[in-house]
Amino acid sequence: MIDVARLASLIVERHLIWVLLIGIALIGLTMPGFFSVRNMINLLWAASPLGCMVLGLFFVLLTGGLDLSLESIFAAAPTVAIVLALQTLGEGIWPGFAIVLALGLGALAGLLNGAFAVKLGVNAFLVTLATLLIFRGIVIYLIPEGVYYLPPEITWLGGARLFDVVPVAILVWIALYIAAWAIVDRHKLGKDIYALGNNADAAYIAGINIDRARIKVFVIAGFLASVGGILEVGRLQSVTADMGQGDILMVFAGAILGGTSLQGGVGRVSGIFAAVLVIAMIGNLMNLYGVEPSVRQIVFGFVLLSAIWLASLQGRLRLGRGTDP
Amino acid sequence: MDLTERDRPRPSASEAAPSYALEALTRRFPGVTAVDRAKLSVRRGELHGIIGRNGAGKSVLVSMIAGVIRPTSGRILVGGKEIDTARYSPGRARDLGIALIPQEPHFATALSVTDNLFMGRSVTNRLGFSQAAAMQRKAEEIIATLGIDARPSDRIAELPLESQQLLAFGRAVFVDRARAVLLDEITASLSQVRKLELLRLLHSLLAETADLSFTLISHHIAEIMEFCDRVTVMRDGRSVATIEVAETNEQELAGWIVGDADQAESKQAETAPRRTAAPILSLAGLSAGRSFQGLDLEIHEREVVGFAGLEGSGQNAAVEALFGLVTPTAGEMKLAGKPVEFRSPRDALDAGIAYLPRHREAHGVVQNLSVEVNTLLSAYDGYRRPLGFLKRREGRRMARQRSEHLAVKAPSIDAPIDNLSGGNKQKVLINRLALVKPRLFLLNEPTRGVDIASKPALLAVVRDELAAASGVVMLSESEEELIAVCDRILVFFKGEVREILERGTPGFTVGRLYELIQGVQRS
Repeated sequence: MIDVARLASLIVERHLIWVLLIGIALIGLTMPGFFSVRNMINLLWAASPLGCMVLGLFFVLLTGGLDLSLESIFAAAPTVAIVLALQTLGEGIWPGFAIVLALGLGALAGLLNGAFAVKLGVNAFLVTLATLLIFRGIVIYLIPEGVYYLPPEITWLGGARLFDVVPVAILVWIALYIAAWAIVDRHKLGKDIYALGNNADAAYIAGINIDRARIKVFVIAGFLASVGGILEVGRLQSVTADMGQGDILMVFAGAILGGTSLQGGVGRVSGIFAAVLVIAMIGNLMNLYGVEPSVRQIVFGFVLLSAIWLASLQGRLRLGRGTDP
Repeated sequence: MDLTERDRPRPSASEAAPSYALEALTRRFPGVTAVDRAKLSVRRGELHGIIGRNGAGKSVLVSMIAGVIRPTSGRILVGGKEIDTARYSPGRARDLGIALIPQEPHFATALSVTDNLFMGRSVTNRLGFSQAAAMQRKAEEIIATLGIDARPSDRIAELPLESQQLLAFGRAVFVDRARAVLLDEITASLSQVRKLELLRLLHSLLAETADLSFTLISHHIAEIMEFCDRVTVMRDGRSVATIEVAETNEQELAGWIVGDADQAESKQAETAPRRTAAPILSLAGLSAGRSFQGLDLEIHEREVVGFAGLEGSGQNAAVEALFGLVTPTAGEMKLAGKPVEFRSPRDALDAGIAYLPRHREAHGVVQNLSVEVNTLLSAYDGYRRPLGFLKRREGRRMARQRSEHLAVKAPSIDAPIDNLSGGNKQKVLINRLALVKPRLFLLNEPTRGVDIASKPALLAVVRDELAAASGVVMLSESEEELIAVCDRILVFFKGEVREILERGTPGFTVGRLYELIQGVQRS
């Protein structure tokens, strides 16, 4: 017979998110139209910006750090890029340049976070709390009313459909997850990050440049948040000053639900991918059922709470196994 | 009265019953008998020493007295009454007036000195409110008596470890009113002046309080000679002798501690040193602040150089300086003739120096990760393609080959390293170093936390494999290991190399090495 207890602990520890995903999908069966191609495409499309931010946070959490400012970079990188490309540089410039600019600015914002947190040895929570405010402030200062008419070059990534069916945003999202998996699993940086997250002292003595690795994950996170921002801008065909505001909590919920440890060193790309799907499906189902916005908040609150509970449960199991002789 | 023949009553203790006594106390762990029928009787009014080498059973013995570890068999008597060892606990020990002051006291680090001194023992009024002013005054008194540079409101974590240990002592004696106080290496971090002050304090406390006794656990012969009235020597888990300190000398005590197991020269003593012409690493006057000074050394290929010394004698900082973990303040380090300076472990690794840290779990093993990743961790640069992606198959092959070579016992190289035994984890770490193909291995306590059965194999790897093509520097707390493996042994004492023992010369013995480590002057 299979060892039931061991199987159960393995599921809770590693694969709970998949159980959850199946459970939500089963609930979805009760709602006609949930599994229609159209609804699925819309669901994934809406989830792609969040998916990018969760992936960014995932990298930072793996090293044992955190980044609160991602939701502000999410808005600030596209905003500054669009204002620069369309206003400051003006007519002569190709509007699509704004995208390149936005990605660069996202990475730069991440570098700023990383440099402060690592080189000055300031707690990442405090640094990114400050930049959360700064970046959001920049957005509100630049575009208090939002920008609603954007050239198609800028909105293509987030808004267009390939062959009039598949949104480009979904493909970008999936491509990023594949690239992230390759980095985490097949790249030197991935090995450095996991070693650093599990035992920073040992990683340092083993010759890993831990400062550089720490800064790199902030840069990656900033970059991914700006990709998410570009996708969101394209999807909504506009930029608003409150874009992404308050989303960071859902980003944490996604990363933690997906099995990423806040202590660092533990987490998988597949887990957080599934977690983003779970969050998107819950939102979508509530939409279809016509749940009131206030109630929706309560439900997501419980999702967050369960994520925290799961995280503690997983932590305990892992500890329990570690202390066995 | 339970005085044995050996015991000669001191004037201050003439009528006293023993403070506590142990009879045939034994503690077995799977595969080892850590303490074997130990006998000890500490008198009231006495400063009693317990000495022995690492692994002699001192700390297990002391833990049993303090209720931390339960004995397998034997009796513990406190104030003449036998205690029920099956239900003995640290709480019971405290009620009986027994206190163990560990080397690293457990305090609530964020709280003040006063809060920590009176934790769980607050002075309260009838309504249960704590009387802050009274505790504050008492804390000030204790601090003054102990001669610590601190205020009652200071956060305890901000005080140096020596002050924390003294405060733990103060709490036991003045707050908990303990009557049998066990001090574990309390003098380790004290300067000579502070040591004498402490000694004076201990003596005056003994004179003031009739039923008090102190038990001092120490590695240091000199300290036992200086502090104690009598000393009990532990060797291989047994209490081999209890000696009046006034009637012995350092050399005789050293003889008791080492025993007569190997007065003969080491078996391999006839082997000539294997030194070859050009040194890999040469040090001239290398110093690091107060840790170690004036280290001169040439390390050659195919030789094993041992660093020996008591804890805190500088050998640890010296080996860390060779790997860029400690920054030298003076002197020169040359690698293959060229001056080098390491700012990080990476620099040292790139220069061909690999380091096995002393604290395996804290500084070596990366938990949660596989044997493969732990093996390859320092060598990934050798398996990368242009963009930083890894040649996975090649890496896996090397990890598997190395694991098979040292017979690492693991379900597979994909298994997490956490479930491996200490010896196997150590093999994985040695593989990690070997894959860097260094010119010099620095091994800080390679057999630490490795079970006895695996030690010889590990030492054979050091001597036969690592030293086959590279130089090796090895630190060990075990004199036997150093004598068995090393070609030369540098004995550190108070930050300086006091003596160098050469294989194949007379005096290359465990006994002589132990004396030198202890700083014993031959009469």
